[in-house]
Amino acid sequence: MMTDKRTDLTDLELNDLFASARTADPDPTDDFMARLFADIDDVADGFEQVALPTEERRSLLASLWAALGGWAGASGLAAAAAAGLWIGISPPSSLSSVTDVIWADSVDVSLFASEDILGLEG
Amino acid sequence: MDMAFDQYDGAPDGALLVAFANGDRAAARLLAIRLTPRALGQAYRMLTDRAEAEDVVQDALMRLWKIAPEWRQGEAQVSTWLYRVVANLCTDRLRRRKRNVGIDQIAEPEDPTPSVTDRMQDDARQKALADALASLPDRQAQAVALRHLEGLGNPEIAEIMEISVEAVESLTSRGKRALAAILAGRKAELGFDDDR
Repeated sequence: MMTDKRTDLTDLELNDLFASARTADPDPTDDFMARLFADIDDVADGFEQVALPTEERRSLLASLWAALGGWAGASGLAAAAAAGLWIGISPPSSLSSVTDVIWADSVDVSLFASEDILGLEG
Repeated sequence: MDMAFDQYDGAPDGALLVAFANGDRAAARLLAIRLTPRALGQAYRMLTDRAEAEDVVQDALMRLWKIAPEWRQGEAQVSTWLYRVVANLCTDRLRRRKRNVGIDQIAEPEDPTPSVTDRMQDDARQKALADALASLPDRQAQAVALRHLEGLGNPEIAEIMEISVEAVESLTSRGKRALAAILAGRKAELGFDDDR
């Protein structure tokens, strides 16, 4: 057998070798699949925690709700939002006609009272 | 098939991965069932060690689950990605083996007597081939394994290895020549003297 020491494998022999290797085809065991499924659960748990912890999400919503003043605050906010929307979609020129409809008379608004409320003029 | 998997009949692998990224664990389980047999075979044929092959597949799939949120359907095939990762992990392990044990010290075929069965001959050849693959440069070992152990075509290997078809041909050709030389001294053990 020493005469073979320096003789490379022929293409045919190499192909035989590859053919032998191709016969190896192990089936996954149930235990192995269970390990893979456990990994899936671990990674999925990680995704959910990264998204935002449930407790943290709940407390964030609670804080926001409290800051708005609960139901009372929220209803006031909703009314203000509706009024803002109405004013927003009405062009400025029509604003006076809206106030006319509501109050029937025109309303003057001034930063300073027309009377001398401090009575400085005697 | 499990009832939970029915809704995914015919869904591409990439769609299952995206579904998993959106919180659907059943999609990932189905993907594991689809991909594992082939990936385990690929790893086993390169390493000839079941425990190591399982570790490689588990590692590769773990990486797949973790990148699920960034996966873009249509840009890559999950199967191509998995071939690549398994091949890389296997050559990492083969390189480690080579560092720990010299090629001449690697286990000899268990029973070289004429009474060995075909199965034992296959085992001996598989072991000798894995040892020899460990001696090749990583890229040569991967190209040879994908071509001759997985039976893939050169264009597919080129996609997996992210190189040109010509580069694949060159790697497999040099890899085969190197294997033929490395195994020259073990022809008798591999049963070739009796055959020819």
